Amino acid sequence: MTESPLLLQELLRKTAGGDATAFALLYKHTAGKLFGVAIRIAGRGEIAEDALQECFIAVWQRAADYDPIRGAAMSWLIAILRNCIIDRLRRRGVRPEGHAAPEEALRRLAAPDSAEHGAELRALRACLDELEEQPRRAVLLAYLYGLTREELATQLAVPLGTVKSWIRRSLGRLRRCLES
Amino acid sequence: MKYDNPELREQLAAEYVLGTMPPLVRRRFERLLAADPALRRVVEDWTTRFGSIDRATEIEEPPARIWRSVERHLALPRTAARPRWFGSLGFWRGATLAAAAVAAVAIVYIAVRAPPTPTTVVAVLSDDKGDPGWIAQSRAGGDEIAIAPIRSVAVDAAHAFELWAIAGGAPRPLGILPPAPDHPLMVQASALPPDGVLAISVEPAGGSPTGLPTGPVLYKGKMLPRQP
Repeated sequence: MTESPLLLQELLRKTAGGDATAFALLYKHTAGKLFGVAIRIAGRGEIAEDALQECFIAVWQRAADYDPIRGAAMSWLIAILRNCIIDRLRRRGVRPEGHAAPEEALRRLAAPDSAEHGAELRALRACLDELEEQPRRAVLLAYLYGLTREELATQLAVPLGTVKSWIRRSLGRLRRCLES
Repeated sequence: MKYDNPELREQLAAEYVLGTMPPLVRRRFERLLAADPALRRVVEDWTTRFGSIDRATEIEEPPARIWRSVERHLALPRTAARPRWFGSLGFWRGATLAAAAVAAVAIVYIAVRAPPTPTTVVAVLSDDKGDPGWIAQSRAGGDEIAIAPIRSVAVDAAHAFELWAIAGGAPRPLGILPPAPDHPLMVQASALPPDGVLAISVEPAGGSPTGLPTGPVLYKGKMLPRQP
C-alpha cells in the first residue's frame, strides 16, 4: 500500500484553507495507517479510537502549522497521533501487559510503503541491533507500546535509574549510528 | 537558560519522541517547543528516525463512527451541494443495484501516481452520505484530467459507471469510467465546466443509450476553484 506524499501534502494544504472535502479525503487516505499505529500502542478499544478522533480534530485545527519543507505529511500526522495516544495513556495510568515481544514485533513489521522508507527501516533495525539486549528492549517497548519509565522498570525487573540511563545511552548511540 | 546545551536538547527531544517523559516534564517541554523552532527541528529529526516503524505498521480499518464524530465535533459543512435535478429524478432511492460495493480495503491508491509530477485535485465526487468516492486530478503542465475511484468499486458486467458534466443545461456525457484506481479515465481539461458539477451514474454497459443519465446517480461533486 502506498499513499502519494504529494497528494497528502496537497490535501493538508487545502484542509488548512478550510476545505472539508480535502479533509475528508485526507482521512480516507491516512486513517487506516494511523489507526494501525494507535492499536499497536494502545491495543484495541476506547483509547485507540478516541486518540484517532482527537488526532483528526487537531489536524483540522492545526493544518496550517504543517510545513512541507520540514518533512512528509505522513510523519506530521503520525507525530500528532502519537502525542494524542501518549497523553491518553498517561492519564489512564498503569496498563495491563500483554503485547507481543518487541523484537518479534519489529521483525513482523509489514513491508514499508516505499523504497525510501524500506531503507530507513533497515538502517534503524541495523542500529537497534548494535544496542545491548535489555536497553534495546527498553527503547522498543517504549516506542512500540508506549510504556512509561516505571512500566519499563517493572517489566524488565530493574531499578528506575537503570531504565533512565539505558534509554539515555541507547538514544545517543542510535543517533550516532544513524548519522554515520 | 539551561536548555541551550546541545546534548541536553538532543536527549530531551529523543525522549519526547520516544514517549518516556513524565507527563509534567512533557508539558514543560511542549511549551519550550512552541517557542523554539530549532528545537522543533531536533524533534522532527527523531520523528523521522523512528517513523519508519509506524509507516510499516499494519493498516487497521477504523470504525465509521470515528469519522462521524470528527465531522460532528467540528460541525463540518457537507461537501458539494446536491443539484436540484438529482433529487427530482428520484435518483437516490433504490440506488443500490449495481453500485458501489466498496472494497473493504482501508487505504488506497490515488490514480495518478506513475510520474511524480505535482497534481492538483480539481473535483472530488462524493456519494449521498458525503463520502468521497472518486477524484479528478490534473497534472502540472498537462491539459488532461484523470478521473479514478479512490478505491476499487464493484459493478456487474451488464453495467458501467458513466461520467457527466453539468453546467446549466442538460448533462453532457464525458465517458465510461474504469472501476479501478490505477486506470483513470482521461478527459481534456477543456471539456470540464469550470463552475459546474461532475456526476457519475450507473448505466448499461457501453454507456447510456439516450445520451442522458438513465440510471441512479451515485456520486457528484462541484469543480473546485482553480488555484491561482
